[in-house]
Amino acid sequence: MKKVKLAELAYARSGDKGDVSNIGLMAKTKNIYEFLTKVITPEKVKDYFGAEVKGGVEIYPVPHLDSLEIILRRALGGGATCTLRFDQTGKSRGPVLLGMEILVSEEMLEEARQAEKDIIKQYSVA
Amino acid sequence: MKKVVIGSGSAFWGDIFDPALEMAKSGEVQYMGFDHLAELTMALLNRMKEKNPEAGYIPDIVPWMKRLLPVTIKNNIKMISDAGGANPLQAAKEVAKVVKELNLAPMKIGVVGGDDILPYLDEIRAQGWKFKNLDTGEEDIDSIRDRVAAANAYTGADLIVKELANGADMVITGRVSDNALYVGPLMYEFGWKFDDPAYVDLIAAAVTVGHIIECSACVSGGMSNMWKVSERPWDIGFPIAEFYENGEAVITKPKGSGGIVNQWTVKEHLLYEIVDPANYMMPDGIGDFTALKLVEEERNRVRVINMKGKKRPDTLKVCIGFKDGFIGEGLVFFPAPDALEKAKWAEKWVRERFKKSGINFRELRVDFMGVNMLHGEAAAIEDLDYNEVGLRIAGRTNSYKEAEAVRREATHLWTMGPVGASFGVPMNVRPVVALWPSLVPRDAVKIESQLMEVN
Repeated sequence: MKKVKLAELAYARSGDKGDVSNIGLMAKTKNIYEFLTKVITPEKVKDYFGAEVKGGVEIYPVPHLDSLEIILRRALGGGATCTLRFDQTGKSRGPVLLGMEILVSEEMLEEARQAEKDIIKQYSVA
Repeated sequence: MKKVVIGSGSAFWGDIFDPALEMAKSGEVQYMGFDHLAELTMALLNRMKEKNPEAGYIPDIVPWMKRLLPVTIKNNIKMISDAGGANPLQAAKEVAKVVKELNLAPMKIGVVGGDDILPYLDEIRAQGWKFKNLDTGEEDIDSIRDRVAAANAYTGADLIVKELANGADMVITGRVSDNALYVGPLMYEFGWKFDDPAYVDLIAAAVTVGHIIECSACVSGGMSNMWKVSERPWDIGFPIAEFYENGEAVITKPKGSGGIVNQWTVKEHLLYEIVDPANYMMPDGIGDFTALKLVEEERNRVRVINMKGKKRPDTLKVCIGFKDGFIGEGLVFFPAPDALEKAKWAEKWVRERFKKSGINFRELRVDFMGVNMLHGEAAAIEDLDYNEVGLRIAGRTNSYKEAEAVRREATHLWTMGPVGASFGVPMNVRPVVALWPSLVPRDAVKIESQLMEVN
């Protein structure tokens, strides 16, 4: 097993709905998705972000997209227009979540790194 | 198989203009949607209208239409725009002037409004509807009623469909949902009806597709994890959806434009700014994003299949904005040596100053820029040898005067702080219009529309 940042395994993008901060977490492969559904828990996410998340955390699986929708309630200082956060709409939350450390098998890490290489190769413009 | 091609021309007030014009010139679309309204833009537009009854719409619509209309008319593209804001009729009158000025008449403009429920909010309240706050769970709007600055319902596509059927070449709306700008033309073209169960999944598919393209560049390479592979991002193309009568759609962008559309950009956007992915609730229907699948057909073309959902809800979301204090903010940057230590010293200095001046804070926040401002508790504050660290101080107060004092004390750090303090341009104090998100019965909202003929 190896300790790596979640960024090795998934992509993330985040935004707001009032005082709700939401993070779309997209696994780089189906296998990784199955793994993440087990290791990314509401408790772990809440603990990672700390006191700024005043409400609950919910995680919705989206299996066809190999993705998790992570909902952080009362997490934006009251919402974009009244928050004291510099990042009023929580755009940085997704990438910040990707800094979370995860214990992963050598095989899965290899699979993730290969997937990343393939993605870059597939979409790069010659 | 019949297909209808819709594209996104704008996602917010201040969005980049060129991609909209390029899309119109490409002639690849039949309809273009233009969204300019954020959650609390209506409060701002209401204030503009109070000062001047002929204001309250998004002023950009005038220069934009001057450049777009000659192209859209030539290429037979109909535009649906929510730039009407708090005054869609006035916006339509201004566009009519442009039409005449450029000799583009005759033209028919649909005008859709009635989303402003503030004039009869108390009437609905008196009937027992309390406008519970969806974020905080507070039961009754009475606690903030005297500070309400705007109350607009997110209305649906009903009247956009009606005015297109009446022959409108363009539709200008107030606060419809962003989504309805796209659902409207699809419902009109395919002849779907809200009450017919046969159309439930098709309308939900339109809601889903509207969600995918409504944020313009955000699905075609903007704000993306694909930033490394986005082609000529400075020439980014806005998204286009080819919607087929079988309920499938292809997400793409104008040929030759920059940016990228692939499974990842579509996923990113499907998951963006939503709550429960199985119940994406819009005024025209409920999208179930857990049912659909994505198929990459070729470069920059993603097919969305198996879109499903549920019938539209009986309530509409209503965005109530209320005045709720002021924010004062200050920013100072410190260079090495000892950048973080200097910032910590300055934090202590400013906190002592606040004690002396006796400001009553509702909330005070201090961030070290470059260290923990975005990460918060997710980052440990390490004593590294930073090249530079910023100190950001933000305070929320009840009075303007106190917020101004926060800003002012921060500026004093420029001359009284540690050596090297650098400060840029100070920010102005801003009034807070807080959001009270709630629901309102659909039947209680008096939506209205008319057709303006420009000859």
